[in-house]
Amino acid sequence: MTEEGHRMTAVIETSGLTKQYRRVTALSDCTISVPEGRISALVGPNGAGKTTLLRLLAVLAAPTAGRATVLGGPPRQDPAYLAEIGFLAQEIPLYRRLTARDHIGIGAHLNPRWDGESVRERLGGLKIPLDRPVGTLSGGQRAQVALALTLAKRPRLLLLDEPLAALDPLARRNFLAALAEAAAGGDLTIVLSSHLIADIERVCDHLILLAASRVQLCGDTETLLAEHRVLTGPRKDTTAIARTHAIVREDTTARQTTLLVKLNGPVIDPAWAVEEANLEEIVLGYMSQDDAGHGAGPADARLSAIGGDR
Amino acid sequence: MTWVTWRQYRYQGALTAALTAVLAVVLLITGLHAAWAWHSALAACTKDGSCASLPDSNLSLSNTTIAALVVATSAVPLLPGLFWGAPMVAGELETGTNQFAWTQSITRRHWLAVRTGWLLLAAAVLAGAVSALATWWSGPDNALTADAFKANRFDITHIVPVGYAIFAMALGICAGALLRRTLPALAVTLAGFAALRVLTSQWLRLHFMTPVTVYYKLTAPFTPNGSYLAVSQGIVGANGKPLTAGPNSYGYNGAPIPAGCMRFTGSPNPGAVVPCLSAHGYRGYVTYQPASRFWAFQGIETGIFVVLAAVLLGVTFWVLKRRDA
Repeated sequence: MTEEGHRMTAVIETSGLTKQYRRVTALSDCTISVPEGRISALVGPNGAGKTTLLRLLAVLAAPTAGRATVLGGPPRQDPAYLAEIGFLAQEIPLYRRLTARDHIGIGAHLNPRWDGESVRERLGGLKIPLDRPVGTLSGGQRAQVALALTLAKRPRLLLLDEPLAALDPLARRNFLAALAEAAAGGDLTIVLSSHLIADIERVCDHLILLAASRVQLCGDTETLLAEHRVLTGPRKDTTAIARTHAIVREDTTARQTTLLVKLNGPVIDPAWAVEEANLEEIVLGYMSQDDAGHGAGPADARLSAIGGDR
Repeated sequence: MTWVTWRQYRYQGALTAALTAVLAVVLLITGLHAAWAWHSALAACTKDGSCASLPDSNLSLSNTTIAALVVATSAVPLLPGLFWGAPMVAGELETGTNQFAWTQSITRRHWLAVRTGWLLLAAAVLAGAVSALATWWSGPDNALTADAFKANRFDITHIVPVGYAIFAMALGICAGALLRRTLPALAVTLAGFAALRVLTSQWLRLHFMTPVTVYYKLTAPFTPNGSYLAVSQGIVGANGKPLTAGPNSYGYNGAPIPAGCMRFTGSPNPGAVVPCLSAHGYRGYVTYQPASRFWAFQGIETGIFVVLAAVLLGVTFWVLKRRDA
């Protein structure tokens, strides 16, 4: 799909989005675009601004600078906008003394297109009691209740902050399968933040990488995979590679050098063994760059600068 | 949203209703007892014509019982603000549940308006009900002592408790929204409420309207009619200025005794000094708010507390809309 095509159907479009707390910059100059129907993985180290970005999109916080367009308008405290988004906070906040059934009732009273039946079905399938105060449920069960409630809102954009953290591996797989199914219709867009790249790799077709409050990568996973390669070869000077390609990460042992590069054409030098990179390698490659934000330009520009130095 | 509010507050509501019922039962029992004692004392004194000098003991309620019930009743308007108001926003912010509530399809303003509305109503009804009981309960005592306008009676009867309850609720909600933590909000609500109550009942209330001052001859003492509110009283000298005796000198109602009257001070009849003082131009005065202003004062005081509550709620709406969740 072309860049133009993305823009036509982008559900999230931000430009220079910045959130500054008194002394801390939580998110800096964030420019991303998420096309409709994608399941986007929002990854990055702790404190990278993932939660801040999701909260800005969910109108729980207001940006200091920059702007966002979500589903055709700015995020705003307005019933019509709020009805379109589903947000699940990391700490899975629910009213501990109320039951799941109470929460279903609350949702029914506060949302125009509420699907309480879907919650009952999902929780019934998981054997989670509807009549017990949610404070007495296990962490994983609470997460399932919260997820079911968020989905029952029938949002067009689902913003999930670390939804997998409280789930065991099986529950994780079931949950991701349910997400994929929910998104299969094509009109639901999902952004979920997670540390578990290996888990989300299977369902996500889009990736946003934040590090040091900045966007390092944003694009379809297919494109990202096609653009990056792992190069392995004997220990040698990498200047020749850096001339054409952008070196994201360089690991050198006594005998060999491993490079993660962003390609800019084919790798000609036969001394390098070229392998496809998986998503985790790409993400870790970018995350381990030790640029504590001296560069202010877009990720691509900074990458070539780093490559040029070597 | 009304249903949601009900779901979240039904336990607190039930608990409060139960506690209020306990207080109501105590007030009913003691009140009925006092009324019965009052009516039988009245019946007895009408027979022998001694009604002018009915002793307090005829109420059969000890002063400590009365004081304890007055204190308990004074606290009622504060409690909803303390235990429902302060945690209303702060509790949600602390547990993060506001992130759930504020991402449903209603605005924060709507969320706040409905909850605040119901809590204000509940607090007003609670305070009103207890005040109605207290008003009834203090009837015999007031008939005997004409205390209705005094602090501790004025404060727990008629409509002012409703104003207090509305103010306490608004203060609790606002403090919770500003401080974002329940415990500090609770402390601020308690301190703010107590401070404003003491300030109004001990000082502001005395000056809601220009008080009336009456000068009288010491030989014909004057007491205002009915349940008046005393602002100050004492003795003025011939020049019309209030007199105050030094710490170690002889005095009469706080005024120094002139040398010409000193010879009466040691006499077997202490009252003999009064005509002498009168002859020296001494007059008594009392500055007071007449009993007829009782309802105007109830209205003014209620109004002050309600207006302050409105300001606090305005701040709360502004803060909640503008600040990050």
